[in-house]
Amino acid sequence: EDIAEESQASKELIAQRLRLLEEWRAWRKAVEAELAEARDGVIPLALQSEEDGSEVIE
Amino acid sequence: MRPILLKGHERPLTQLKYNREGDLLFSTARDKIVNVYYSHNGERLGTYTGHQGALWSVDVDPTSTIVATGAADNTIKLWEIRSGRCIHTWNFPTAVKVVQFNEDGNMLLAITEQRMGYQGTVYVFPITIDVEAKQAEEPIIKFSSPENKFTKAGWSYLNKWIITGHLDGSVSKYDAKTGELVQKISVHEKEVTDLQFAPDMSYFITTSKDKTAKILDTKNLKVMKTFVADAPLNTGAITPTKDYVILGGGQDAKDVTTTGSRQGKFEARFYHKIFEDEIGRLKGHFGPLNTIAVHPAGTGFASGGEDGYVRVHHFDKSYFDFLYDVERMRPE
Repeated sequence: EDIAEESQASKELIAQRLRLLEEWRAWRKAVEAELAEARDGVIPLALQSEEDGSEVIE
Repeated sequence: MRPILLKGHERPLTQLKYNREGDLLFSTARDKIVNVYYSHNGERLGTYTGHQGALWSVDVDPTSTIVATGAADNTIKLWEIRSGRCIHTWNFPTAVKVVQFNEDGNMLLAITEQRMGYQGTVYVFPITIDVEAKQAEEPIIKFSSPENKFTKAGWSYLNKWIITGHLDGSVSKYDAKTGELVQKISVHEKEVTDLQFAPDMSYFITTSKDKTAKILDTKNLKVMKTFVADAPLNTGAITPTKDYVILGGGQDAKDVTTTGSRQGKFEARFYHKIFEDEIGRLKGHFGPLNTIAVHPAGTGFASGGEDGYVRVHHFDKSYFDFLYDVERMRPE
């Protein structure tokens, strides 16, 4: 019975983490799209190394 | 994850900051000096001297040409990084607690302390990133919050808002062009001690003496995540590439004595940013952690303590490999 309860609890935890992960990713996707539109292709200097962790060469 | 120990200061650290490329690390402390190190090996590149009081804040412009510092001698100074020459000084009625460049490097945000009949004030100065240029004396904008002391502040994306943290635990959002208060919410039960943005500035983390850290959405100041610690927090940072936050703090020396606690809780704590769980701790400092900065490429971090030391860490493989089962199940 204990094992059954434990496995139920762990199922719930996994379900909750999946929900949190999906919520976060959906939010990031929306924000990134919104910001990209607002920036209209202009990436400020401070963010230019963020894409790949190296210098942006143009 | 063996750290590099930097012994460049005689007094407690107040702020650490990497430049955009992450090759340089700047440190300020109560000992009136600014140090700059090569972040990969901890070799000291230079020391900038000239402030007459404790330093509270440092920031680097995105081209790594100029460093700004704010201090208890009621000044902001600009320094040429390469030579260590002081190229400009602004004077204020009280101590300068925060300096921060905007994402374009053409404006500098500052907050001054509320004291001796002077209100805590937010200033924005126009900046010319040129060491020979004459900098403007007057701010573009200036505003106060008399009933609610500022403790920290930062720019949002697109220079749209200025986000401020307060002594009463609240967080405010001001229109960066007009200085108008747009929104104010209660977030913490005690003082906001740090406020650091995610790389794209669409969310940020606040830490507090109330032993919690929170992640807020910049757009609407909604609290998205809460991290619960067992000690007052002084600093927190969001890591790029991995979904972690790193928090630092610890009990004040006086509280350690009064509670009889031998454990000051002076570790850097890692939490999962999305699941809010603590996932690891890193020992090292002999006093509370005052400041944490994360390398902009997410390859390491630096912590500065009340003990006067800076510890620079390069993350090892286990840091990058660690994943929750659900992250493995649903790779991005």
